[in-house]
Amino acid sequence: MYRITAKEELDVRDFFMEVDAPHVARAWKPGQFVVLLTHEKGERIPMSIYYADRETGRIGMFIRRHGKTTFELWDKFNVGDSLYAVAGPLGRPIKVKYYGNVAFVSDAVCGQAENYATLKAMKEAGNYTISIQTFEDKAHSYPEKFLAKPVADEYYLTTEDGSRGIKGHYLDVLRELLEKDKVDIVFGGGKLGSLKKLAELTKEYGVPAIVTVRQIMVDGTGMCGSCRILYDGEIKFACRDGPMFDAHKVDWDDVIRRDSRFVREQEIAKKRYLESKGVV
Amino acid sequence: MARPKPKLIKERVPTPERPVEERVKDFEEVNLGYDFASAVKEAERCIQCPPEYAPCIKGCPVHINIPGFIGALVKYRDDPDKAVEEALRIIWNDNILPAITGRVCPQEDQCEAPCVMGKVGDPINIGKLERFVADYARERGIDKELCEAELKNVEPVGAKVAVVGAGPAGLTCASELAKLGYKVTIYEALHEPGGVLAYGIPGFRLPREVLKCELDRLKELGVEVKTNHIVGRTVTIEELLQEYDAVFIGTGAGTPKLLNIPGILLDRIYSANEFLTRINLMKAYLFPEYDTPIAVGKKVIVIGAGNTAMDAARSALRLGCEVTIAYRRGREDMTARVEEIAHAEEEGVKFEFFLQPVEFIGDENGKVKAVRFEKMRPLEERDKRGKRKIVGTGEYVTLEADTVIIAIGLEPNKIIAEEPNLKTNPDGTLVVDENLMTSIPGVFAGGDAIRGEATVILAMGDGKKAAKAIHEYVMAKRTNA
Repeated sequence: MYRITAKEELDVRDFFMEVDAPHVARAWKPGQFVVLLTHEKGERIPMSIYYADRETGRIGMFIRRHGKTTFELWDKFNVGDSLYAVAGPLGRPIKVKYYGNVAFVSDAVCGQAENYATLKAMKEAGNYTISIQTFEDKAHSYPEKFLAKPVADEYYLTTEDGSRGIKGHYLDVLRELLEKDKVDIVFGGGKLGSLKKLAELTKEYGVPAIVTVRQIMVDGTGMCGSCRILYDGEIKFACRDGPMFDAHKVDWDDVIRRDSRFVREQEIAKKRYLESKGVV
Repeated sequence: MARPKPKLIKERVPTPERPVEERVKDFEEVNLGYDFASAVKEAERCIQCPPEYAPCIKGCPVHINIPGFIGALVKYRDDPDKAVEEALRIIWNDNILPAITGRVCPQEDQCEAPCVMGKVGDPINIGKLERFVADYARERGIDKELCEAELKNVEPVGAKVAVVGAGPAGLTCASELAKLGYKVTIYEALHEPGGVLAYGIPGFRLPREVLKCELDRLKELGVEVKTNHIVGRTVTIEELLQEYDAVFIGTGAGTPKLLNIPGILLDRIYSANEFLTRINLMKAYLFPEYDTPIAVGKKVIVIGAGNTAMDAARSALRLGCEVTIAYRRGREDMTARVEEIAHAEEEGVKFEFFLQPVEFIGDENGKVKAVRFEKMRPLEERDKRGKRKIVGTGEYVTLEADTVIIAIGLEPNKIIAEEPNLKTNPDGTLVVDENLMTSIPGVFAGGDAIRGEATVILAMGDGKKAAKAIHEYVMAKRTNA
């Protein structure tokens, strides 16, 4: 079983969870993800990794209370309880090597986890690491100990309204750095709309960008094609061929649209769950 | 003196089916199967060809002693439990999953096709008799007892084998090896074992409790199943070889082929695998009681005419949709089992032939709203599979659809093929020798992973053959050590 070993609130919406999953922890590399199932009637949800500890056999994740599954995960699953399934690691690892100045930019929950995880490995590989983490506002930003600061040689926190850190988005900070020719490669995760803009920005400066293309998945092993994207004119599966891709080759409009394929169903399930809790 | 000629009964004893109007409302099994009395009656029709001649045995990919098990039903007709026990013992010699194969095998192309009775009337209903034996045994616990008795004769050989994939090939290989005394561990990527039996074949063809019972037997044999382990990612073949004496790869053909035509990324265009996995494995038809959703409209077009297409079409029908199967060839070229096509038609699935999709047309929100097809026409010439070749006519037709399911075939999953030193063919299947050994010594493979797209029974046949080859390999290695 996949026992929950730690759980902590990150902000009013996101939380941190650590789970016993030695089979994943021993094999995980940056860029890879897991698929979770809360219980036997649950859905398979892909989740980014914050850290994977080979010694303890545990993996850490940042999770957003977003739909029924993640609300339930926060409400009903506590330290000592077990998840029904943790499958992984899935996807292809990114190349961890010396690039020079490596930036990771992120503006949503999964991206924040990837920011720390990726830069940790990149720093160990001798790179100069630059982390930019964007949050909407102070209330939706993480406590100090969950930021990517410890693995960043240069660190920026921004909020869109300026209530914490620099006012603005990672795109603004990154543009300045690109302007100063300070970045050799950018990695990114988080909101798809921002990643599309990131692709345009880095293209403008001729800097490579490798980003997480988060898509709706079922199995996560290349079996269903739900996460298919158009990449350099070819069909690729985000779960098997990604999830991290060269941002310049991704057909972003389709990716963004396909992310909302089940919004109606998602709302039905969420409403039903919240009603059952007596919240609504 | 010649024996008096037995009277031939030309017609099959029918098996009851649930009425169409009732069954299209749920995912419960359609065919209800035989009871003991009707099974014996059908068994009596068999003229008991001698095993060295029996065409049914030759027609069966795993060569089950069919006249033998049918004969046992007749011989012990006064003691149903004994009759079934004997019949099951005979079937198990060659096939450990009769409740499954009795339901999903294309018997009309295999054992039943050459049946001598078929020359004068209906062939013996071998599939339904096999299913009856398995079902009766399960309901009375006869299979469990028989399994326990067989286990008593198992001597541990002190060797370990890893099986990759808990589908038909892997399950068979695992159980054969367990019976030979091996310690077997199955690595399964999904959260439940069964492979295509769990994610692909709907409950109305293979009830989940039947599958569960067959899987439970594996546990009784001492086989361990590690779910959520993706070999190639969680653990590599190389790592497995360090821990185990041999490895069997039965990873199937799980990657859907998609049409490379405009509009393939539109919403509500599913691969049959996605559609069926959501429904069968994740129970999306019970959403929101179960968490996985499925979004369908009113008008569904299924592209393809194999068993998967029929399964997808009939599943969509059960979600309340109007369903049309569009196939680029003609009626007689459809690859699905006769029974599945008949069931689909009875249930109201419509068929359109000689239509090749050329474009998916979307609405302003990116949802599919129609499919544009080119009309095809058949030629006299046949391809290597014996199907008439087709050519485009240059005429086009557009059919409305708010949901499309693509069921044009599958290919092996590429994750396992990323393994260094594991040689693959251009179509992605693994290269194996006559003993089913891959390019890595000690690593064997079978089923759709080496065949591309075949049947459950062929995969099981491979699993069995590989188990024998693995046993010989391990024993030879031991002698040489």
